[in-house]
Amino acid sequence: MKVHINDVAMDFPQGTSVIDAIFAAGYDVPYFCSQEYMSPIGACRMCLARIGAPRKDKEGGWILDEATGEPKIFTFPNMMATCTTQVMEGMVVDTLSEDVKRIQSGMVEFTLINHPLDCPVCDKGGACELQDRSYEYGTGVSRFEFDKRHQEKHHPLSEVITLDRERCIHCKRCVRYFEEVPGDNVLDFIERGGHTYIGTFDPGLPSNFTGNITDICPVGALLDATSRFRGRNWEYKHIRTTGMDDASGSAIMVDGRTGRIERIKAALNPDINKTWIDDGTRFGHEYADAPDRLTTPLLRKDGELKAATWEEAAAFITERLGGMSGKDVGIAIRADATLEEGVAAKALAEALGTGQLDHAPRPAASVIPAQDPATFTDLATSDGILVVGDVTEEVPIADLRIKDAMKGVTPPELMPHGVPIADLRLKEHPQLKRAILTVAAPYRVDLMKHAGQTVRYPAGGEAALFGALTKLAEHGGERVDGEPAGEGQAGASLDDGERAALGMPYEDAAALVRRLKDAERAVVVYGGFVLATRAAAEAANAFAKAVQAKVMILGPMADSYGLELLNVGPSHERYAYPAMLTEAKALILSNLDPGQDPDVRRALQDKELLVVHDSFLTDSASVADVVLPAKSVYERDGTTVNLEGRFLGVHAASVESGESEDFVGLVGRLGEALGQRLEGRSVRSARRVLRKRFELDPAELSPAGRLYRPKTRRQARVAIVSHEAFDGNLLVTPSMVRIEYLTRNPHLERVVEGARLRMHPDDAALNGVADGDAVRLRVGGVLRRAVVREDDTVPPGLMLLPCLPDQPVGLVQADLTTLTREERALEVAG
Amino acid sequence: MVELDTIPPFFVDKRELVDEILGRYPEYGRRSAVMPLLWEVQRAERHISEARINEIAEILDIHPTEVKGVVSFYSEYHGEPVGTYHLQVCATLSCSLAGSDQLYDHLVDELGIVNGETDHEGRFSIQKVECLGSCGTGPVLQVNDIYYERVGRSRCDSLLEALKRDEMPEAWRERGGDNEGESKAAFLRNGAGGGEGGAE
Amino acid sequence: MSDVTDTTHDASTRPITSRRDPRYEVVMYRHVGVEGAHTLDYYRSHGGYEAARKALSQMSPSQVIDEVKASKLRGRGGAGFPTGVKWSFMPPVDGRQRLLVVNADESEPGSFKDRYIMEDDPHQLIEGMIIGCYAIQATKGMVYIRGEYVKGYERLVGAIREARQAGLLGRNVLGTDVEVDITVHRGAGAYICGEETALMNSLEGLRGNPRLKPPFPAQAGVYGLPTTINNVTTMTSVVHIVSRGADWFASMGTEDSKGTKLYQVSGPVERPGVYELPMGATFRELIYDLAGGPKEPAKGFFPGGSSTPPLPWTDEYLDLPMTYDAMAKSGSMLGTGGVIVIPREKDIVSAMYNVVRFYAHESCGKCTPCREGIATWLPKMYQKLLAGLGTREDLSLIEDMVRNNRGTAFCPLADACAMPVQASFKWFRDEYEYIVDNGKPMYTKSDWWQA
Repeated sequence: MKVHINDVAMDFPQGTSVIDAIFAAGYDVPYFCSQEYMSPIGACRMCLARIGAPRKDKEGGWILDEATGEPKIFTFPNMMATCTTQVMEGMVVDTLSEDVKRIQSGMVEFTLINHPLDCPVCDKGGACELQDRSYEYGTGVSRFEFDKRHQEKHHPLSEVITLDRERCIHCKRCVRYFEEVPGDNVLDFIERGGHTYIGTFDPGLPSNFTGNITDICPVGALLDATSRFRGRNWEYKHIRTTGMDDASGSAIMVDGRTGRIERIKAALNPDINKTWIDDGTRFGHEYADAPDRLTTPLLRKDGELKAATWEEAAAFITERLGGMSGKDVGIAIRADATLEEGVAAKALAEALGTGQLDHAPRPAASVIPAQDPATFTDLATSDGILVVGDVTEEVPIADLRIKDAMKGVTPPELMPHGVPIADLRLKEHPQLKRAILTVAAPYRVDLMKHAGQTVRYPAGGEAALFGALTKLAEHGGERVDGEPAGEGQAGASLDDGERAALGMPYEDAAALVRRLKDAERAVVVYGGFVLATRAAAEAANAFAKAVQAKVMILGPMADSYGLELLNVGPSHERYAYPAMLTEAKALILSNLDPGQDPDVRRALQDKELLVVHDSFLTDSASVADVVLPAKSVYERDGTTVNLEGRFLGVHAASVESGESEDFVGLVGRLGEALGQRLEGRSVRSARRVLRKRFELDPAELSPAGRLYRPKTRRQARVAIVSHEAFDGNLLVTPSMVRIEYLTRNPHLERVVEGARLRMHPDDAALNGVADGDAVRLRVGGVLRRAVVREDDTVPPGLMLLPCLPDQPVGLVQADLTTLTREERALEVAG
Repeated sequence: MVELDTIPPFFVDKRELVDEILGRYPEYGRRSAVMPLLWEVQRAERHISEARINEIAEILDIHPTEVKGVVSFYSEYHGEPVGTYHLQVCATLSCSLAGSDQLYDHLVDELGIVNGETDHEGRFSIQKVECLGSCGTGPVLQVNDIYYERVGRSRCDSLLEALKRDEMPEAWRERGGDNEGESKAAFLRNGAGGGEGGAE
Repeated sequence: MSDVTDTTHDASTRPITSRRDPRYEVVMYRHVGVEGAHTLDYYRSHGGYEAARKALSQMSPSQVIDEVKASKLRGRGGAGFPTGVKWSFMPPVDGRQRLLVVNADESEPGSFKDRYIMEDDPHQLIEGMIIGCYAIQATKGMVYIRGEYVKGYERLVGAIREARQAGLLGRNVLGTDVEVDITVHRGAGAYICGEETALMNSLEGLRGNPRLKPPFPAQAGVYGLPTTINNVTTMTSVVHIVSRGADWFASMGTEDSKGTKLYQVSGPVERPGVYELPMGATFRELIYDLAGGPKEPAKGFFPGGSSTPPLPWTDEYLDLPMTYDAMAKSGSMLGTGGVIVIPREKDIVSAMYNVVRFYAHESCGKCTPCREGIATWLPKMYQKLLAGLGTREDLSLIEDMVRNNRGTAFCPLADACAMPVQASFKWFRDEYEYIVDNGKPMYTKSDWWQA
């Protein structure tokens, strides 16, 4: 419909809000309470404009202005909030006249009367919407001469978020965010009228996505505690890059200053994370600036690791390699390495002539679906979703995209100014269509509280569960006389074992199958528990095929998909990681720490050559011959591929980390020492390989990334050595928070209180431990440190422990005889 | 807080009451029950404590924050205990024109507490409230659930004396207008006590 | 005193616009004030529930709506929207639950008519709700009663129990296959919950903030279901419309404002209280004839509750008919018809501060102009004036600030405060100027308390 914004006439689809029309036309009005991807509520009254529209008479024709013969414009008696007004045919919007300006400055004046003059000490200064709007629309003078309202000024809402109640302008973005996005109503207004303030009665804000409120708060009321008082917004260098803490490829903004990362914020990617990131990604950056970062290579001389130069280290390595067969060398990189690092690793392996190359963690099954993987948009518009596992911990953004699907609102069309500011399809207090979501897991996961159907199957029972469901899908679940096939009917019979494996009554399983089959855009989501065995993954894929659902596979780490696509893998199963730890005579490990296990550490010490590339002096590094300082995930330029198969750019923030290099740099240095020009000796040369291999240019990737769909069949990946049968008393679970860096992320550590070893209270009593005890436990051979958490939603007889790169998700045996309490040093709060 | 662990839950022995309250609303409107549940607590315990907020949140399967947001919005739910006799003085215009401001000042003098306070013994508390909906019979003083209307000077003192003796009088329901009592029939016939009127 | 002028000469067909008209009789407040009138026995023995019986057994739902439309009844809650038209906004029956909500939140200063219905004559309300539910084909009625009306709540709940036992509520109302039941929901002290969308939020167990319109309650109301919201005395009016017919109702009042209505008088008059009058009666009749006139000289009055701009005490305004249109033309509003008389000795600044403080206290805090302007800044300005520290610039500031509150807030509460303030400046500016020029109010009487 045609709309006139001041002197501009434009066409807009029905349902567009006037504020979006205004911005699309190149004009602007101030606003505080509207927020992209959230309901418009018309509370702040900043966006008021003078609006008129023609009216139809009883016969349906326009009422005409007698003088001009044109449809008469009836101006609405009051100014209208443009964020909550829909465009109408022939609407006329005025945002420039004196009247409108007067109201705008009046609203600015009202907003400022109780707002404290904190700008000099407020973290938001320079990036503050209130400052900007006051400057743009206010008169510059306030006539309010009385005492401002006084409220609590640094109220710790949680360990990572600070609230200054005086600064709050009551836009309600934070309250609506929690209700509409993650669905955890943990913030609300308290009291009413002029006394209203923001508060919570859920201590610590129990939600996995709390940090987003510090992005959307238009003023300095809600602030990131990890960066409080660390710098001024205009001092930060803002680098937009891709988060490498999970396989989502979420867009993040890294704010750095003087060689430190001070803060991570969300960046916009409408196809993946919209404008949200999880708390693990946001607050888990402090380790990059930990004081014990390695800054120079270390070389073992006289039994001790001493600082050395890269030349010395490379020369040492080359010399040692000279004395052995190249094929005895094992190379392993972490699964969040960039594609370029993958190219470098492959090049090095080829140069050395070894087939012992791998990335870790790499699950038993492929992370690349046979058909095109489901995209986040597929997930967010799905009408039937089955999730197996804990998606909220594994790929947190998928949790939010699933909730999008349950809200039933498709992603908005982008407008000239970007994401619509006020999408009128979004309402407060959205009703979720819970019926479309089924969540299955061996223990209670957060997403279950929003699911229409929850299934608790026995740990390790993924293959059996999917097997039974597939049988139902292929034979049963049919309609007999218009009704779903019942027990005992043709082909619907399952034996007792299959029935037990369902973890739910037969009727519910049949209903689930029917629901997915009837859905037009069904998606099956699975992660580590299913990937842990080939049988489970095959069964899951067969089920998805039987119900004609797309598949979204949650790979263990950021670039699992990319590194598998690139085939950074061994030539034979026995050379896979961690098998190569015993096979190889020499090892080059990048960001992996198998030496956490004392037995492995002893074995590593006996290697002819152990090179550890890491950011810290880990257990493995402490017994290495050469330690090379590694760049953190924030310091690399490169490319990664997320679980959609989308190529995304990774851009380095400038962090002061001495002589750290990523694996590309390492290979470049080694190559020099070896006297060879290796592919992947530099990001540029690595990209030449990528360009050829994938027919796209990583250097030219737009911020949105690019979905890659191969034209030719991939070569089959070499499997890791895995257990096909399951037995175990401890389930290693996915974790949004990176446990390997937890002790160096003090804020996050206080939020999660350590690596939680969750167990049923009966098991705690049985093992002589109690809630809060710091313990050690040998799990699958790896010695783990953890904090006991009694939890009666955990099945008795099973314990849960979050994963590490060297201890990926799956069922393992924990030796409970090794469960010992640690003396914990008394920590003084500070 | 120690309080949370040691006081027994309020509704644990009131299952029937809870069910009756929940039954007033459809299943999808369960949340509506938050207000009647809060009233039960407010009436019995003269305030709504943190523990009760958590308890009601659990009954309704919503976050305690949401309950707190509702509790704190209304003037009649209190976070701190009010007195055995909670004196609510209507302060709005019609009652003010009947002397409610002076009534309030008098109460302050007599009881030694001001708006929002409770006395040491927990016997009396005072709250200035807004229009109580009895504008024709002001000044109006609501004590707990009961309206005392036309609380003039002497009646105020006699009311306080009675309350100090723990004798809460019946509501003082005043008449006026078409609310006239016995003379109602005559009143309706004649239209008014004087002036032009009478049946034609 | 002059009647409303009318061109028809035949006295028997002239509309009834005065209580002195012998054709007029009080119907809604017949039983109010009579001991024991709240019981079912009493109500029945005085013809109670016959209107409901007539509607349910002799009329179809749409016929009931037509009758109410023909009566031209306008909502008695203050907005004055034609009730029959509002009922016809309900969508066609589609299987979803439909609701009739009665707004018994009566918190408007100067308004106290609904309370006595619920305390003394609850069955009249119940009967009205049965008819209303039947008309809009809702099986559930909900009464939102303000928390302070405890006696009214108890009487109403008791009456509902009696009605259920007597088969007047439940599955088969009056032996028909119509189903109606009523729930009573208590508020807890918030004027804003009398605003219909805030009422819906409060009823749902949310904070009592108003909602966006559209969607309108008929499209998506309580729990997102088709809902009609009516005032208590709109419902009681319906009883008599069905009982005596739309023509009877329309025989009272003026062209735009029909029927019999409950008006209230408070402030220093001889006989303050609720008075039932045909619409079209004048303020003079209400205040002087019925309420006995002011006890002391008066200078102005609020015509319909504190949300309506006050008017000066002159013949021009006292002789206005108390109708929606006449009031709108006068620059004020009829509102709930709750007249508050302002005595001369009450300084207008003090009186308006009382009003402003009311709105400040009751603001919900959702939107900026109300939360910061009405609830924070305006009371402080008045405090400054009353402390004797105000200046002429402060008067201009108040006027400018209040202008920024007109038409800019999310809901009409800000206007309900701003418009009376503007009117007080219009009619009583001299008192504002006096207090800033002299540091003390023009009228200094401060003790209003009687023995």
